[in-house]
Amino acid sequence: MEKKEINEMKEINEMKEIKDMIVLENLSKRYGAKKAVDGINLTVKEGEMLSLLGVNGAGKSTTIKMLSCLTKPSGGSAKIDGHDVVKDRDHVKEIVGISTQETAIARNLTVEENLSFMAGIYLDPKTYDKKKRKERVEEILRDFKLEEVRRTKSGKLSGGWQRRLSIAMAMIGNPKVILLDEPTLGLDVLARRELWREIEKIKKNRTIILTTHYMEEAEALADKIAIMIEGKIVMAGSLEELEKKTGQKGLENVFVSVAEGE
Amino acid sequence: MIRTLQFAKRNLIELSRDVLGYIFCIAFPILMLIVMSVVNDSIPKEAAMTTFRIDNLSGGILIFGQTFVMLFTAILVATDRSTSFLLRLFSSPMKSRDYTNGYILPMILISIIQAIVIVISSGVTAMISSVELKPEGLLLVILLSIPSAIMFLSIGLIFGSLLNEKSAPGVCSVIVSAGTFLGGVFFDAEGVGGPILKVCNSLPFLYCTRVARSTIQMDFRWETFGKSLLIVSLTAIAMVTLAIMTFRGRMKADQ
Repeated sequence: MEKKEINEMKEINEMKEIKDMIVLENLSKRYGAKKAVDGINLTVKEGEMLSLLGVNGAGKSTTIKMLSCLTKPSGGSAKIDGHDVVKDRDHVKEIVGISTQETAIARNLTVEENLSFMAGIYLDPKTYDKKKRKERVEEILRDFKLEEVRRTKSGKLSGGWQRRLSIAMAMIGNPKVILLDEPTLGLDVLARRELWREIEKIKKNRTIILTTHYMEEAEALADKIAIMIEGKIVMAGSLEELEKKTGQKGLENVFVSVAEGE
Repeated sequence: MIRTLQFAKRNLIELSRDVLGYIFCIAFPILMLIVMSVVNDSIPKEAAMTTFRIDNLSGGILIFGQTFVMLFTAILVATDRSTSFLLRLFSSPMKSRDYTNGYILPMILISIIQAIVIVISSGVTAMISSVELKPEGLLLVILLSIPSAIMFLSIGLIFGSLLNEKSAPGVCSVIVSAGTFLGGVFFDAEGVGGPILKVCNSLPFLYCTRVARSTIQMDFRWETFGKSLLIVSLTAIAMVTLAIMTFRGRMKADQ
C-alpha cells in the first residue's frame, strides 16, 4: 500500500473517531470555605448521555451551572466542543440548552408563546426568519406532543407537562449539548416514565448530561454514569464497568458500595 | 435587537394578562379622576381651591398612574428572579442590554397607553364639568410625560432587582404614597409652603406633576415648565443609569 493511501486511511479513521464534546479538567467551585465541586475530571463523547448521580448537595447542580455559564468556576477548566465556558461563554451559550431544576418557564405565557419566545432568543435571525422560527416551534410542539396544550397557560399545566415544556424549550435552538438538571424531580411514576421516553427521543446525535438522584433513572437512560460524592467524582463509567469495578450487581448496590467506601 | 424585542414582547404579554395591572394602572387612576372631580364640584367657589379642577387634576392623576407602573415593573422583575426564569435566560445568548431594554420598552408603551386613557378621560370630564381644556395640551402631555414615566419605571427596575417578590410591592407602595403626597397630586404644595414645600422641592415628584400640569395648561414658562422638565429629564437619566447598573450587578450576584 502506498504511503499516500495509508495517510488517507488514517485520516478516515480519525474522522470516524468520536470527538470529546465535554471535557472537565480539575474543575472546582468554592463558596467561601465550602468546596461545592472539588477538582473533577470528566470527558463526555459526542452523542453520549452521561448521568451525574449523587445525593442532594453532592455538587451536581453546581457542575451544571458552571457548564451553562451560570456560575464561574473557581479553578480548573471546562470545555464544550472545544470552547472554554469562561473565555468563550458567548459561543458556549449558543450551543448549550438547559432545563433547570426549578421549572423556569414564563407562567402567564401559553406553551406556544413560551416556545416562540425561546425560538426568538436562540435561533439566529440571519438563518431563521419569522417563518422558519414558526416552523421550528411547530416541529417542537409535534416532537414533544405539546400540541394539545399549545394554547394553555404554562402556569396551569401539571408538573409533568411543565417539565416536558421546559425540556422542549431547551431543545428549540437545536443545541449540540443539553443539560438536564433533575428533570423528573417531584414527578409521579407515570409522568416520570413519560418524560423518560421524551428524553430517549432527544438522545439521538446529542450530548446530554443529566443529573439525578434516582438510581433507576440513571440506569434506564445513561450511557455512562458518574457518581458524585461531596463535590468529587468518585467513579465513572458504563453500568457494566461500575459493576465490574465494585463487584456489585445493579446501580443501587454499586452506589451504596461506593458511598460507604468513601 | 431581535432578542430585546422578543423579551419586551414576552414582558408585555405577561403584564397584559395580569388583571391587577388594569385595575391599578388604568381603572384606579380613572376612578380617582372621577372621585376628585366630584369633590371639586362640592367645593364652594369662595374657597378658591383649584387643585381638583380638571386642568390641574389630570396632570396629577397622570403622575399618580405612573407610580403604579413603577410598582408593576418591580413586581415583574422580582417575580422573574424568584421563579428562576431569569436565571434560565442568563444561560441563553441574551446580553445584559437585552434584559434592561426588554423591561424598559414595554413599560414605556404601557405608560403611553395609560397617558392616552387618562387624557381621553380628562377630556370627557372637562366637557361634563364645562371646563376648557386645550386639545394640544392634552396631546403634548402624552409625549412630555415620558421622562417621568422613565424615571418611575427605573425606580421599579431598581426595587425589582434588589428585593424579592414579597418585599418589592411593600417598598414600592411607600414610593407610591410618597410620590403622590410629595408630588402634590392631591394637595396644593405651593399653597401649603413652609418645610413641606422644601421637602417637595428637594424630591423629583413635584417637578413631574408640574411638567404634566403646565403642559396640559400650555403654560411653558421656565419656572413652571422648563426648569421642571430639565430636573425630571436629568433624574430620569440618572435613574435609568442606576437601574441598569443595579440590574447588571444583581445579574452577577444571582449567578
